[in-house]
Amino acid sequence: MNFYITYFIIAAGLFAFVGIFTLFGVYAERKISAFIQNRLGPTETGKFGSLQTLADIVKLLQKELIIPAAADKVLFMMAPGIIFIAVYLGFAALPWAPGLVPSHINIGLYYVFAIISIETLGILMAGWGSNNKYSILGAMRSAAQIISYEIPAGFAIISAVMIAQTLNLQDIAMQQGILSAEKTKFLGLWDVSATGGILAWNVFQAPHLLIAFVIYFIASLAESNRAPFDIPEAESELVAGFHTEFTGPQFALVFLAEYSMMFLVSMVGVVLFLGAWNTPLPNIGSVTLATWTTGTIWGIIWMLIKTLLLVGVQMWIRWTLPRLRVDQLMNLCWKVLTPLAFACMLISGVWRLWVM
Amino acid sequence: MSIVQVLFYFMGLITLASALTVAISKNLVRSIFMFFITLFALAVLYVLALADFVAVTQIVIYVGGILVLILFAFMLSGKEALAAAQLQSNRFISLSNLPALLLALLFLVVMINVIFKADVSNLQWIKEANGVKNVIGSNESMINNIGINLMTRYLLPFEAISVLLMVALVGAAHLSRREGTRI
Repeated sequence: MNFYITYFIIAAGLFAFVGIFTLFGVYAERKISAFIQNRLGPTETGKFGSLQTLADIVKLLQKELIIPAAADKVLFMMAPGIIFIAVYLGFAALPWAPGLVPSHINIGLYYVFAIISIETLGILMAGWGSNNKYSILGAMRSAAQIISYEIPAGFAIISAVMIAQTLNLQDIAMQQGILSAEKTKFLGLWDVSATGGILAWNVFQAPHLLIAFVIYFIASLAESNRAPFDIPEAESELVAGFHTEFTGPQFALVFLAEYSMMFLVSMVGVVLFLGAWNTPLPNIGSVTLATWTTGTIWGIIWMLIKTLLLVGVQMWIRWTLPRLRVDQLMNLCWKVLTPLAFACMLISGVWRLWVM
Repeated sequence: MSIVQVLFYFMGLITLASALTVAISKNLVRSIFMFFITLFALAVLYVLALADFVAVTQIVIYVGGILVLILFAFMLSGKEALAAAQLQSNRFISLSNLPALLLALLFLVVMINVIFKADVSNLQWIKEANGVKNVIGSNESMINNIGINLMTRYLLPFEAISVLLMVALVGAAHLSRREGTRI
């Protein structure tokens, strides 16, 4: 019976992590946006405004729960929960360090991909339940966008999986460093099984994965409804899209879902392409940096650093690029990203057969 | 009763109850969302039957794809069409329901017959497979097996399906093309 208690503790820990990440994520976003737009951002609450988001959360939780009179009450109340739970469930299969993964399942990647797609349903539920033109337009845009961008994201993921030959995220992570059981080759030429470090990451084992990674990253921006793909909640035309009607704790849940989604897609990207929890430092002769910096604690640290860097890039992109129009969005997806992702998949097959 | 059995009966109950609600509910959109619960509970049942790949595929295709498409169709058709659908008289016992009722009853008879005649606990082929140790344990990877079988034993049906999907794609692309702008 003991391991059931462990499961609950792990789940609670992940939830706490997601909450804390959202707190700091919102703060970081506001500070980064302020820096990019030459403003100061929050400064009053706490040192450098660091308690601002905490104060915001307290304010949100105190607010009254307002259900619009014309709304479908059941759907309206359930939608934010489903949106958040869909994203939160995805964390179950992601590895944090060697030997440290909440659930060691051999179809982990496929599971994450599947569970994220439930978010679409939650968004449609929110849009329909609100019974509001803006909400429903936002929800439909969001669903169309997520479904379209799942295709290039999926093919980019498949091209990485063809190199790794497994869907188990922990095994994919294991193959990209000095702990690998197989031979790892830098650019398919130079055996770096003992050197490890940045040279053994998937993007450097097979250079075309660099393109696949960029495709995946762009698609993941669209899937988490972030700018420049934020037409579902375009403030200038749709008020706030599918979450127009939500207040208080409900809105907090939608926000939590958005930030956990950012972290989740970045983490999947890191695991698949950027060496997961493996150190970027290679072994050089007797200076065995890679061996020194591989371990449980180091794994968590590297994982966090890489993922937070990607999240930082997401924020940077959000505040630099203007929003895409719907037709531009679909053109980019179907005419640029999808063919490129197909090409990556093809190269992956050839690479696996003849080079590796 | 082990926890797996408890989970199985609980999920079975949820599947049946939500499926019934889907069929009975007058609110079409809500019954679509109930259908989501049915599909999810079915996925859990697949996991309990050690078919984790099928379970995840079920979620990807049905929840992520088909349900969303159905909802899209609903939202594009607007509230008036849905309201008209709700106005239909929905009495359980009426003459117009007779064919459906007959069909359902006949199907029930067939199902019950199958269940009672199957004698699940000592099937011939399961015994043979157990005899030659041709079984997959709960800790083994299922996807390698599926992949190898798809590419060897079931290659022809697999390719036939892919050709069918290709035809559907080409057809959809042709239909959505604007008239008069033929190149």
